[in-house]
Amino acid sequence: MVLKEVEKLLDELEKAELEAPNGGATPQTYTQLLAVYLYQNDICNAKYLWKRIPANVKANSNELQQVWLVGQRMWQRDWPAVHAALSTEWSEDINSIMNALKENVRERAVILISEAYSSLTLITLASMTGLSAPEAQTLATEREWKIEGDMVQPKRIDKDYHLGQNSLTEDQLHKLTQFVSFLEN
Amino acid sequence: MMKVSSLMASSLELFVNNVRTLSTQGNFRELCDIINKSTTTLARNGPHLDNVLETLDLQQHSLGILAVLCVKLSLPNANGANNPDAYKPLLNQVQDFIVGCNGEQVRFAPDTYTELCHLLSQLLIDLQMPLRGVDLLRRAIRKIQLFDSQLTSIHADLCQLCLLSKCFKPALEFLDTDITGISQEGGYFDAKYFLLYYYYGGMIYTALKNYNRALYFFEVCITTPAMSVSHIMLEAYKKYMLVSLILHGKIVTIPKHASQIVNRFIKPLSQGYHDIATAYSTNSCAQVNTVMTKHQELFVRDHNWGLVKQVLRYLYKKNIQRLTKTFLTLSLTDVASRAQLPGPTEAEQYILNMIEDGEIFATINQKDGMVVFHDDPEKYNSPEMLARLEKEMEACTELDKRVLEMEEEVLLAPQYVRKVCCHVDQDEPLTGPVHTNVTNTQGQSKHSTYSM
Repeated sequence: MVLKEVEKLLDELEKAELEAPNGGATPQTYTQLLAVYLYQNDICNAKYLWKRIPANVKANSNELQQVWLVGQRMWQRDWPAVHAALSTEWSEDINSIMNALKENVRERAVILISEAYSSLTLITLASMTGLSAPEAQTLATEREWKIEGDMVQPKRIDKDYHLGQNSLTEDQLHKLTQFVSFLEN
Repeated sequence: MMKVSSLMASSLELFVNNVRTLSTQGNFRELCDIINKSTTTLARNGPHLDNVLETLDLQQHSLGILAVLCVKLSLPNANGANNPDAYKPLLNQVQDFIVGCNGEQVRFAPDTYTELCHLLSQLLIDLQMPLRGVDLLRRAIRKIQLFDSQLTSIHADLCQLCLLSKCFKPALEFLDTDITGISQEGGYFDAKYFLLYYYYGGMIYTALKNYNRALYFFEVCITTPAMSVSHIMLEAYKKYMLVSLILHGKIVTIPKHASQIVNRFIKPLSQGYHDIATAYSTNSCAQVNTVMTKHQELFVRDHNWGLVKQVLRYLYKKNIQRLTKTFLTLSLTDVASRAQLPGPTEAEQYILNMIEDGEIFATINQKDGMVVFHDDPEKYNSPEMLARLEKEMEACTELDKRVLEMEEEVLLAPQYVRKVCCHVDQDEPLTGPVHTNVTNTQGQSKHSTYSM
């Protein structure tokens, strides 16, 4: 899902909650909103959303509880449990966003592994990314990580800086002029 | 009986006529005076107020409607019932008013307008439906503000409703804007609302784990000039200490411009918190734990228990961070024992989380169970860093401009000029211009010696 669309959806959902008559939005709104917060890794807001959802709504919506289970595990950063909680069937309302979240979480785990480990067991790799052992092996080979026995040696992922270099000079000059004129006065 | 009620009716009629005529004439100042004098009349005619509202137009007679709604909110509900349904019509009326009233007009009575908002939020709190008012107060503030960074007393209400409804995001657009001016509100801006805004704001930032900003908000609260102890300040001081421990691992010295009150009265009133800080400075989690258990009742009563627990969590992290300064490599078991964690698995988990948050720079080697600590890889040569530098520079320039503006404002204030003139007269018979060199720093220091 495109990031911009998510922002728009988030705006709409937040508005729907605030403008709900009698202070209670529909379970659908809550579920979607919670999913979007998780997708953005905004665990704090997700937690407080969960806290403010009326008790009867929580009790009557299985899916809402499911989504929050994912949130709870994300809060604890218990990676294997996050993947376990994520692997259920989601309803039409949140299917796409939860799948995107799944991808997000996996990508986040891979980046973290590449930064934090110089070597780790295949089992750890598999559980942190929520993959089976053979799948994890494929992932490692795809990224050209060295495998020795049951040990994997991840490579650091270089963060690419893609900044537009064009039209920079004039802008830069303008800023410099401003700084200098500020310092001199 | 007949006579009395007709008398009432005629006094209400007079009110309506005044509102209509003076509004049409655009004579809002006089209208405000008359409205202020009619509050008791309105209050005595509670049941007929809806009829009054019907005769007034939202846009044209905003001031009249404002007065009536304010009285209605302060009266007990007519049906005597105290539930959301009984208040629904009134809440809708207030909502329609805030959304549709004439901003220009209500600015003539900012005190009544803010009073309406205070009453509204109090009512919503009593009815236990704080979320209902969040969006409304947000609109209310935007309507009355002269500029975005102006603080109104409604800000505090909004923050309170956000805290009570556990919905913080709507408050952030206000909290993230640094305040540069305070609305006068007809001289009725109570210091309470200023303190509350910074106290509640600090709490919101703490809840969202933006500890930097939270500390700043609590700092503003406790450095407000004061002559006596305010409970708001006392509570802010307690939270200031805890957040400061989380953020810096020690209690940050309170700025010198804080009032004497803080040192003399507020410090002795928060002994338990100082005990935590003392225990914290030994880096021993066990000691912090002991103090926590000893004062648990106090912390729970102050609603700070969760925050205190965070302090302990951060001590574990801080202990790991300290290891990176001494060692280049360390086994996970050693990390666990030195950071007083139960075992290597917990140590690995802590380190993993800290790496992700950028709190330490290290790599774990599962093969031989070792951790290698690195230096900060930031080389300060990336375009991002340059962009950040530029942004900070811009903020500084902006700040400098503000300070100069405010200084100019002070130098031109009649009160200041009078004071400076008097002193000059006493010192020497020199009657030179007082406020030359407004932007000159040397001139400024000369002035401040005069004003001493």
